[in-house]
Amino acid sequence: MNGKRFLMSKTFTLLAFLALLILAFGIATGWRFVELVNIRNILQTTSVIGLLAVGAGALMIAGYIDLSAGGVGTMCALLCAVMLSRGVPWYAGTLAAVALGIIAGLFSAFLINKLNFQPFIATLAMAQVTEGLAYLICNATPIPVKDPVLKFIGGARIFTYIPYSVLIVIIAFVIYAILMNKTKFGRSVYLIGANPEASRLAGLNPKRLTYILFANSGALASIAGILLMSRSGTANATGITKNQFSGITAAVLGGISFGGGNGGIAGAFIGLLILGSFNNAMTLLGLDAYLQTTAAGALLIAALIIDSLTARRTLSGKKPRSKAKADKEAAQ
Amino acid sequence: MEHQLLIQGLSKSFPGVKALDDVFIKAEGGRVTALMGENGAGKSTLLKILAGDIEADEGSFSIDGQAQTYKTPLGAISAGVSVIYQERQLMPSLSVMENIFAGKLPKNRLGMIDYSRLRQDTEDIIAKFGLAIDPRASVGSLSIAYQQMVEIMKAYRRDSLVIAFDEPTASLAEAEISILFGLIERLREAGKIILYVSHRMSEIFQTTDDVIVLKDGKNAGAFMTSAVSETELIRAMVGRDIGNTYAGLDRNTELGAELLTVRDLETDKLQRVSFSMRQGEIIGFAGLVGAGRTELARAIFAADGIKGGEIIFGGEPVRFRSPKDAINAGIALCPEDRKEQGLVLSHSITKNISIPVLDKLLKARFLQTAEEEKLADEAVRKYDIRTPSVDKRVVELSGGNQQKVILGRWTNEKMNTKLLILDEPTKGIDVGTKAEIYQRICDFAKAGIGVIFISSELTEVINIADTIYVMRSGKITGKLSRGEATEESVLALAMKADG
Repeated sequence: MNGKRFLMSKTFTLLAFLALLILAFGIATGWRFVELVNIRNILQTTSVIGLLAVGAGALMIAGYIDLSAGGVGTMCALLCAVMLSRGVPWYAGTLAAVALGIIAGLFSAFLINKLNFQPFIATLAMAQVTEGLAYLICNATPIPVKDPVLKFIGGARIFTYIPYSVLIVIIAFVIYAILMNKTKFGRSVYLIGANPEASRLAGLNPKRLTYILFANSGALASIAGILLMSRSGTANATGITKNQFSGITAAVLGGISFGGGNGGIAGAFIGLLILGSFNNAMTLLGLDAYLQTTAAGALLIAALIIDSLTARRTLSGKKPRSKAKADKEAAQ
Repeated sequence: MEHQLLIQGLSKSFPGVKALDDVFIKAEGGRVTALMGENGAGKSTLLKILAGDIEADEGSFSIDGQAQTYKTPLGAISAGVSVIYQERQLMPSLSVMENIFAGKLPKNRLGMIDYSRLRQDTEDIIAKFGLAIDPRASVGSLSIAYQQMVEIMKAYRRDSLVIAFDEPTASLAEAEISILFGLIERLREAGKIILYVSHRMSEIFQTTDDVIVLKDGKNAGAFMTSAVSETELIRAMVGRDIGNTYAGLDRNTELGAELLTVRDLETDKLQRVSFSMRQGEIIGFAGLVGAGRTELARAIFAADGIKGGEIIFGGEPVRFRSPKDAINAGIALCPEDRKEQGLVLSHSITKNISIPVLDKLLKARFLQTAEEEKLADEAVRKYDIRTPSVDKRVVELSGGNQQKVILGRWTNEKMNTKLLILDEPTKGIDVGTKAEIYQRICDFAKAGIGVIFISSELTEVINIADTIYVMRSGKITGKLSRGEATEESVLALAMKADG
């Protein structure tokens, strides 16, 4: 990508927006916002959302959505916690949880592929199934997690500054950014997201990809659930159910649209940082906790407005996207 | 006095192009005025301005001497202008009568829709046009041809004075076309001003009274249909003589080994279809829309499942489970609906061309984008695709160039296409590009590729294909060689009664 094109790109707009936010929050908080401790804080609190954003982002680029990620991750984390409390080693518990996440994802994909459910409906049902199962597993009481390895991963830091959980999220983003941009898998996700039937008739396999992406979403949700449980030291039935919409919000803030076929994982990462910074600054500024949720919604609306304004700018001068397209067709 | 539509000095620019440049058009009531021109000549822009979809930069138009200044579709409707586009503008889940009276449903005293009156009024209109349509049928359940007729009746119901048709026959078969022409005839008798856009010469001579030719957004001639020849019209459209399209083709003369044999193929839509073809052979499939030609193409390509029968490809019985299997075996399909099924419009030329060969572009599991671009560059060169860059999104290309992108995909050097299935490859493509595509088809045959050529335009099938199969209701009803097939003989087979 050359310099001029980068300046016109969505990534640049996002980075500029993030920089602006950081500057504004820095000034508003008397630079407390940009202290190293606070930045670490932001990264750590967004790590769970980050994993969910990766899974949601990949799915959304393919034109799908998974509303069950929160329920699945919570259920899987509880399964892991129960197994640990019965003396199962941490890696076996984690593997079992991830396996359960994959099975749940595959089941959603089965409903979509074989029974032609709308993804929204299939995963809405799965969300309720898994959230209910989560309560059953723990009997609605929190389960303490004492496993030293998991507690270490959840709490410890490398070089005293970078928490392991942050490292995991960064690694996940890097891996997925490479997968999406450099491999056949990623290309297929974009093509199928933009037009599944044309992709199929050109030799791709949309159904297989659906299975892979939902299994992937389930696995990432499961890891996110375990990460939260490791950090907080307990697993409960609320788990990450409250985080899943933040994951989707981060992906949308990062420029991934619901229609499928566009946006990118790098953008989702910036979206995550924007969301994390925003929430953190609202706390630092002492905004009421309930108002914070409203403020986060307002942020999303603002980001979408900026997105639609820049889409106008980047396409053929001053015209908005849909208009430019209509005119192009009219010129034929 | 006859009605009159007068357009003067109409201009419209888009970024980079002047779509209309000082255009003058006069059309009279009780006459059908054809608008002709190559793709990009400005016909669609003109219709869109008439329909109130877009605004002209300059110029004026008047109906019966009354200047029109509307700028919205609603304004067009109240001014008495209806434009019937290729894409239907109906609500498929609603009934025929609700569609025809949309926006003006009769109400009873309680303010509810008066269905019995609605039905009666609709039946009156249907009877006026002499059609057999149930007013209560949902529009989505009707064939494309009948949907179009519903649109025409809608325009009639609105009491539109100006009715413009944008390539109305593009997706109709011959029999349906004659029904359509019947409807147009009635509109003409009713004194309407009818504008008729089409690429098909035979229709122009069959139905229109006047012809206005546009080229590059400018007037390029106005003729009385009865006093003009096809050659003169083509010269006006392309600015030069292009000679006889078919006689000049450089055809393949050598057929190779047996390539494909289909025996008793059955699907939901096909009944015991059998035929065979050789390498380098072009076989054409003619028939009415809905005769099962597209279904046959999709069944061979494994886009849809098959229920029975046998497909022997390259000497071996095959049973593909997906298009991917068919592609790997060397079969390629250019679908009828190239925008929805052929291309991923929002992606670049490069990305559309490389889809089936992504596996071959991997090095240590990573895509080699430089090599990928080379494939696209080559296709652009080979097919003369008009684009500033291979990164251009396909949606921004013209129809002809889009079709070339699909051809470029299936014939790139990493593909091993042995059988190319072309479903309506020239639909909505201008005269010049059509001729180019005909020669490509012959070139494929010369390279030993077998070509299945499906088209609803009779002239092209009987002139391009070596062997012509005619289908009707999911069955093959006849087989003719190029020499013996005439439009009449093919049509007779296409409409033959069952039995």
